[in-house]
Amino acid sequence: MTALPGTRRLLATWLTLMGLTLIAMLSARLDQGSWAPLPLWSAALVLIVTGFKAQRLLMVYLNLRAATPAWKGTFVGLVIFTLALIGAGYAAPRLGLV
Amino acid sequence: MSSRDHPGVAALPNPGWGPLSALPGNPLMWVLILSEMLVFTAFFALYAWQRATDVAAFNAAQQSLDPLMGGLNTLVLLTSGLCVALAVEAISGDRRRRARQWLAASMALGVLFGVVKVVEYADKFAAGITPDTHLFFGFYYGLTAFHFAHVLFGLGLLALVTWRTSVDNVETAAAFWHMVDLIWILLYPLIYLLR
Repeated sequence: MTALPGTRRLLATWLTLMGLTLIAMLSARLDQGSWAPLPLWSAALVLIVTGFKAQRLLMVYLNLRAATPAWKGTFVGLVIFTLALIGAGYAAPRLGLV
Repeated sequence: MSSRDHPGVAALPNPGWGPLSALPGNPLMWVLILSEMLVFTAFFALYAWQRATDVAAFNAAQQSLDPLMGGLNTLVLLTSGLCVALAVEAISGDRRRRARQWLAASMALGVLFGVVKVVEYADKFAAGITPDTHLFFGFYYGLTAFHFAHVLFGLGLLALVTWRTSVDNVETAAAFWHMVDLIWILLYPLIYLLR
């Protein structure tokens, strides 16, 4: 069996994930109760935070840090690719590309 | 294949699994995780494309959602993920009773996630919002229900390994549960936050 992350690392990761979730919610301006479209930088921050959360979950909760760089790159790359697609679909109409 | 025949193989988590040898836990679970991620990526891309062609209508429909409920469910699922990771740590230290306690906590939070989701669905249906109301709701119901089906299956797996508790079983069920968590992390901002 591969070396597992210890309790301290798991708790630190959980705290990070909780904090990042709150940052994403604030970036989406949920505290303002407004449904106005987000500024592009806010949307970008939401996606960056989401990507970091996914990376932490893969590396610590799923213990992917014990795998080879190729596998780490595959999974993190797929997350980045997914977020890039979402971001492109979001930004394209705002930038007048659709 | 033995580590004596192939020096360095012993260092791999799963010797004998070819390219999958270097992955921790059950290699087949990683195949499932990769394939599920690809399926959801395809759906997310389709949603993003459809939204790009009708942003105003998607934004108007999205106002019917409660992003705080979605955020609450994100926090619940992440905490459930912590509990299941602690269950893996406990069983790997041969603390079976503690592992079962963490698994029970994880399942309780998974059920809470389901209750919040059902409340959300009930609110929408009570307001007359169905998958046919607008394409946005087709995606909303489709994506969240598909994810919810994974939550239910994951709860079944966690219950099974609480009964048949071993390191391999708990590690495999935990990997599935973390995948459910991972998909929700990507789904939440797409459906609830970005507007």
